[in-house]
Amino acid sequence: MKFILMMTGTQADWDQYAKWSKEDLERNVAFMRTFSKQLKDEGVFVATEGLGWPNQAKVVRAGKDGAPVTDGIFPESKEFLAGYWIVDVENPQEAYKIAARASAAPGLGGKPGNIPIEVRRVLGGHADLGL
Amino acid sequence: MKYILLMNGTKAGVGSYLEWSQQDRDGHMAVLQRLNKELTASGEFVATQGLAAPHEAMLVKGQRDGLPVTDGVFPESKEFLLGYWIVEVDTPERAYAVAARISAAPGPGGVPTNMPIEVRRFASHPERKS
Repeated sequence: MKFILMMTGTQADWDQYAKWSKEDLERNVAFMRTFSKQLKDEGVFVATEGLGWPNQAKVVRAGKDGAPVTDGIFPESKEFLAGYWIVDVENPQEAYKIAARASAAPGLGGKPGNIPIEVRRVLGGHADLGL
Repeated sequence: MKYILLMNGTKAGVGSYLEWSQQDRDGHMAVLQRLNKELTASGEFVATQGLAAPHEAMLVKGQRDGLPVTDGVFPESKEFLLGYWIVEVDTPERAYAVAARISAAPGPGGVPTNMPIEVRRFASHPERKS
C-alpha cells in the first residue's frame, strides 16, 4: 500500500522557519537526507519533494473562456504543503511509524520538532474510492 | 521548472463528488485522462496521483519514545489534498494554463467545476535558503 506523508505549515510557520539559525537548518536538512537514505535502504521509498515558499503560491481557476484566472491571496490560516514523502508499506501502521520519524526531525536547538504529519493512502485507481 | 498542481477539497466537497452520477464522473475523468495524454505527448507530464477519501486521513506526531501518536479528528473547514499533477514546464504561465484546464473539467451536467487549483513550484533545500 502506498501512502503519502505530508508536512504542512501556515505562512507564520514558514516565516519562523526562515529565521532558523544556519546550524539549526543544516541539522534539519542533514536529518532529511539521512531519513530519505534510510527509507531507500528499507525498501519503502517511492518519492520525496520539497515545495517552494508559499508566497510564490498561486491559486488558479478557469475563466469563462477557459483562460487561467490566478490569485495569490490566501487566508492566514491556510495550511500550505511544505513537502512530502511517498512510501510503499504493508499496512497503515508502518506508514504511521515512518511519519513519527519524520515528525521527530530536529527543530530549533536540535530538539525534535514533533510537527504533525498528515498520512493519506494513495489511490491505485479511481475504483479505490469505492465508485 | 517543476510545478505541482494541487486539488484540495473539504470532506463536504468530497461527499458531494461521491454523489455525482456515473455519467458526470465519466465525463470528468475522460477530460482529465485526455489532459494527461496531452501532457505526456508534449513531454511535460511527470506524475499524477489521486488520494484516498479524507475519512481515512490520520495526523501523526512523534513523541518522546519515538512512537507514533495518531489522531483522525480534523476541523470541518480543513482542506484535504484530493490529488495532484506534477508537470515540467518552461514558465509559470504554462503551469497556470494546465491548472486552468483541470479547473475547467466538467462537473455535474457537464458544467465546468471551476475548482481552484493551487500551483506551487518545487524547491531544493539550497534554493530555500536563498
